[in-house]
Amino acid sequence: MYGWIWRHLPGPLYLRIIEAVVLVVGVVALLMFVVFPWAEPKLPFNNVTTQ
Amino acid sequence: MPPRPPRPRPVDPPTEVIPRVEDEDDYDDEYYDDDDYYDDEDDQPAPPPESFARKAVRGFGEALITMGMVVLLFVVYEVYVTDLLSAEKQEEATAALDSEWSSNVVTPPPSDPNRKAKTTLIEGKAFAKMYIPIFGNDWKFSVVEGTTDKHLEIGPGHYKDTAQPGEPGNFAIAGHRVGKGAPFNDLDLLQSCNAVVVQTQTQWFVYRVLPMSNEVAGWASNPKSKDAACAGVAPLATTLGDAYAKTVGQEIVVPTQGEVIASIPHQVNATVPPEKQARLLTLTTCHPRFSDRQRLIVHAIETKSYPVADGFVPPEMTEG
Repeated sequence: MYGWIWRHLPGPLYLRIIEAVVLVVGVVALLMFVVFPWAEPKLPFNNVTTQ
Repeated sequence: MPPRPPRPRPVDPPTEVIPRVEDEDDYDDEYYDDDDYYDDEDDQPAPPPESFARKAVRGFGEALITMGMVVLLFVVYEVYVTDLLSAEKQEEATAALDSEWSSNVVTPPPSDPNRKAKTTLIEGKAFAKMYIPIFGNDWKFSVVEGTTDKHLEIGPGHYKDTAQPGEPGNFAIAGHRVGKGAPFNDLDLLQSCNAVVVQTQTQWFVYRVLPMSNEVAGWASNPKSKDAACAGVAPLATTLGDAYAKTVGQEIVVPTQGEVIASIPHQVNATVPPEKQARLLTLTTCHPRFSDRQRLIVHAIETKSYPVADGFVPPEMTEG
């Protein structure tokens, strides 16, 4: 998977490194600001109220 | 090698020198041969046969590593990133509260502090500030109305329909223990008689943690009960009767035990008139840390109140 992505990044080496970093940052941001806030209430970690 | 002195016997040199030179040559040749040999091998693995099994195993391994990274990232999110997001919301709520307090005309508190106008609380809006001096000067949070996830992201949340600060009954607040600012992270460290100070627009209320369940029996003989900090703190069963027998400083309950925030904790159906109810503060958070299996509950009782005045800070604020 990672090898496939690396082989398909266009441009010379330095450009590929920049592209790879941008991809990683993008995925992390997607997780942090979209996926985790959505998933977190569904997980049994942090309920603090009594019913 | 230093030149050797000529030896007396001429027979020896040919037997000694010639074979040695040949040996060294041989050794050098072998050395270079080896080098070439290794170079060849380094070149060879470049085009290995990519079998399906090989690809599948590698893909599976990469997927596992990726999932592990996602889980680690989630921990970072839960413990650090939510703190940053919540800090911003808490700041906004505090700023809104400060501007509301400074713009409204402050009516002086009624002469009888037991009788005061009930404030209308708006969900999601901060209405009081909370301090726990023993946790340090920087421990302060604005308390919002409501206990949904959205509300608790802002800060500690007041259970709707429970008493307001200073009212008879149970002023109940929930707060996160991990992430989201983690206001109640150290709630388990509160000892009996520790102060929890609540400030509203017009009044300060000092609540003190009730004696723990293991202190109730010997409270009168406990030297701690003579401390100045413990003035007004005593096991509630002795001062207010059996209805309060289960109300102690700290308890751990299951999440369905909503009776801990009842006006008289654990007595949902009790019919005690409000004027005979104690003025309690109840804090709830999750327990154990990182789990929602149980709830940690801290009960405190109001021991003092002061009117808000310019420059006045209750002496309890410097405890700790």
